[in-house]
Amino acid sequence: MSKTWAVARQMIAEGIRMKIALVFLVLLGTVVLGLPFAITGDSSLTGAVQSFMSFAFTATAVLLSILTIFLSRSFSDELVNRQIFLVMTKPVARWQYVVGKWLGITTINFIFLASSGLIIYGMVFYIKATHPPIDTRFDLAELNNEVLVARHAAKYQLPNFRTGAEAEFDRNLEEGMYDDREELNKEEEIGRLSRKNEARWRIVPPGNMRTFKFSNLLVDRTEGHFVQLRYRATVSRYPPDEIFRAHWRFGDPYRGATVRDIPVRHRADRWHTIRVPSDVVAPDNTLTVEFFNQNPYEGEPQFGNIFEFRKSEDVSVLFIVGSFEWNMVRLLVLMFCKLTFLSAVAILMTSVFSFPVACLGSFTVYVLAAGLSFVMEGLDQLSDDYAGMFSSPGEFLAQSTVYLLTLARFILPDFARFDAVESFVNGHNVGLVWVLQAVGDMAMMKTGIVLGLAVLLFHRREVAEISV
Amino acid sequence: MENRAIPVVQTAGLCKNFKDFWRRPRVQAVKDLNIEIEPGAIFGLLGPNGSGKTTTIKMLLGLLYPTKGRISIFGKAPSDVAVKARIGFLPEESYLYRFLVAHETLDYYGRLFRLPKRVRRERSDRLLDMVGLTHEAKRPIGEYSKGMARRIGLAQALINDPEFLILDEPTAGLDPIGSRQIKDVIRDLGRKGKTILLSSHVLSDVEDVCDRVTILYGGQQRAMGEVNELLRERDVTQITTPPLSDDTIAKIRDMVNRLEKKEILSISNPRVKLEEFFLKIVEEAQAANVHTHGAGKAGAIPEFLQKATEATAQGAFVESLIEASTRRPTESIAPVEIPVGEAPAEPTRDVVDALLGKTEAEQAEPPAPAAPEPTAMQPPEPRETPAADRSIIEGLLGQSNDEASSDADSTNEK
Repeated sequence: MSKTWAVARQMIAEGIRMKIALVFLVLLGTVVLGLPFAITGDSSLTGAVQSFMSFAFTATAVLLSILTIFLSRSFSDELVNRQIFLVMTKPVARWQYVVGKWLGITTINFIFLASSGLIIYGMVFYIKATHPPIDTRFDLAELNNEVLVARHAAKYQLPNFRTGAEAEFDRNLEEGMYDDREELNKEEEIGRLSRKNEARWRIVPPGNMRTFKFSNLLVDRTEGHFVQLRYRATVSRYPPDEIFRAHWRFGDPYRGATVRDIPVRHRADRWHTIRVPSDVVAPDNTLTVEFFNQNPYEGEPQFGNIFEFRKSEDVSVLFIVGSFEWNMVRLLVLMFCKLTFLSAVAILMTSVFSFPVACLGSFTVYVLAAGLSFVMEGLDQLSDDYAGMFSSPGEFLAQSTVYLLTLARFILPDFARFDAVESFVNGHNVGLVWVLQAVGDMAMMKTGIVLGLAVLLFHRREVAEISV
Repeated sequence: MENRAIPVVQTAGLCKNFKDFWRRPRVQAVKDLNIEIEPGAIFGLLGPNGSGKTTTIKMLLGLLYPTKGRISIFGKAPSDVAVKARIGFLPEESYLYRFLVAHETLDYYGRLFRLPKRVRRERSDRLLDMVGLTHEAKRPIGEYSKGMARRIGLAQALINDPEFLILDEPTAGLDPIGSRQIKDVIRDLGRKGKTILLSSHVLSDVEDVCDRVTILYGGQQRAMGEVNELLRERDVTQITTPPLSDDTIAKIRDMVNRLEKKEILSISNPRVKLEEFFLKIVEEAQAANVHTHGAGKAGAIPEFLQKATEATAQGAFVESLIEASTRRPTESIAPVEIPVGEAPAEPTRDVVDALLGKTEAEQAEPPAPAAPEPTAMQPPEPRETPAADRSIIEGLLGQSNDEASSDADSTNEK
């Protein structure tokens, strides 16, 4: 390990003295330190902090990713400038050299990422202290309860639409509604009926109500503790009204929970958070929440909205499970895992190719990892499901690319899957399981595969090879 | 004592082809090279540019893989990490990290040998002193002149107190002082029993320090043997004395003519080498403490560079080195056969002996060692013959012993 660490130390010494690293450091500093003065968000304190954190963390991730690729230049430079001749004639195994280089870049990333995290943390409290509040009490409470926390978001349980769909199918069959069909696929029809019932369930017409049930809410029900309902209602009316009236009822008295009614007057298509004491949660850790569409509201005749909760995420119950600080640490770990993988890719590329080619290759991998799902979805859309692979050149290209990317998935991690900035900015808990998945999948398994490949290729390489 | 027979370097049928982008062989850089370097030898690899010297060295170090043939270093493959721990390498150019200062550079290479921190620091200081760069140790190497970088290159090659030192064009880019210092270092290391492979196309470097050489041309081995044997001019005798009067010279000329029936070919005052003269001037400047931003006065060879026997005291390798230091290298590989002409007749020994005033007992020389037959063509330049017993000549010519001894110091230096 000491030899590997010696190579890593040398890489660190070189990395922090590289002009390109200095440029990125200045850029990073400018972004992190300058953003609070440039970004106001929606002019609220919460908006300013959220916008700052979102931009700062995204900028940090992008800049460090690019820096990682540039730092790997050290490897190809040593091959080109032949400094590697001296290293390889010392008692250093090739794997120690490759791993040492990777370790050096990873350590630099760790230092820069941790520094950036610390500065962002400091700037958040700077904004909190200096941002001109509209309503000090409300703004600070909103920031403390919805952003500077780690909240677990519990999703509601969807009713079993299939049971209803099966019953409806049987009824339709009995009533002869399918008699005119030449072919009837029972499973397809039940699926269609399920989707129809679900869509119907998700809308709440004026005067109607909808019940959302949550379970496994491990909250402290004693006084002074709260749960939050976060929701977004899409309005299905043309033209939509901006403001709507509704009524939320929390708690099921039959389960021993306190009932609390919260009437709201909110904007449509925006996220809203309602904070209620945690005694609305039943002792069996369940929570029943009912939503009443109060439109058209008396005295406000323009409200005739039909609400729709299109996605399961549109209504969730949040409760605090950890501190902002540890949540930030977990976010940084997720970001670090991506950089770890990217370092390995950059090392692999520079151990085989000259820097310009390696740089292009690393960026391609970065882009693919960041948008792999999106690219595959797009290619899938382009491809005709029923056309053969060799039906046309375009089809061949699309389908073969899909196959290649499916294979690439075994090595390439899905960066989007481990993108936690949005969750963090919204005060959502960056779960430990999520972090462990990232560590296992990206930082260990896939990084290990890529690094192993780099060692293998470099081991076979003649470092003094010349082409004539 | 199985290790006794293990040479430091052994190659057999070594070939290296360089290929083009399409992997087609284009250049045969080394062809069927067979060399063997015994422990304790200073071995010269000679050849013009492009003769395959550096390619050979890179193969010995595992930086290139042979296309064909076999290499063993200390009886193992060059890629063996344990073998590399016993090697020091100075490449043809100083491939050092420009952003590191001298101390950091030596510390880094020391770390790769897993030397403890205290040892690294101590050795770095001593080596920097040895190469005369102590006062420039905190400057980044990128700011060094080429010669200074070469000196650091030599220092890094010695950081591990190697048993086997590979020096590729060690004096390239060095001023005469550095060049002389490096040659002195090589000689001193040789005396300590280190094995040294010296590659150069500077013939005087090789001639000054090497015991044995091989000459490459076009990737092929053209000659190999002991330097003294290869360069000995057998049909000329040279006697060096302090200044002689015209009368004495006439007497000697007459004596040679009378006894040998031969004419003296030339009598002249030898010139001091420009290298000697230059070094004398610089030493005077150094003594006067003239300031320089370049390399300073070099220190002594650090004592951590142990004798090879001490360095390997625990292993069986010791015995092989002891044996190597007491025996003549054997001619185990026959390079390209070059017919050697009949050795020219030695001057009649009794004439020489009479000239030197030797007694009969003194004339009985020990049997000549079994020197390998030189296989090379004779070099054009004459080589100095060993100095004769000067006091006898002085006595013969009637000079006082005091004069003779005081002059001997200045003229005996090479």
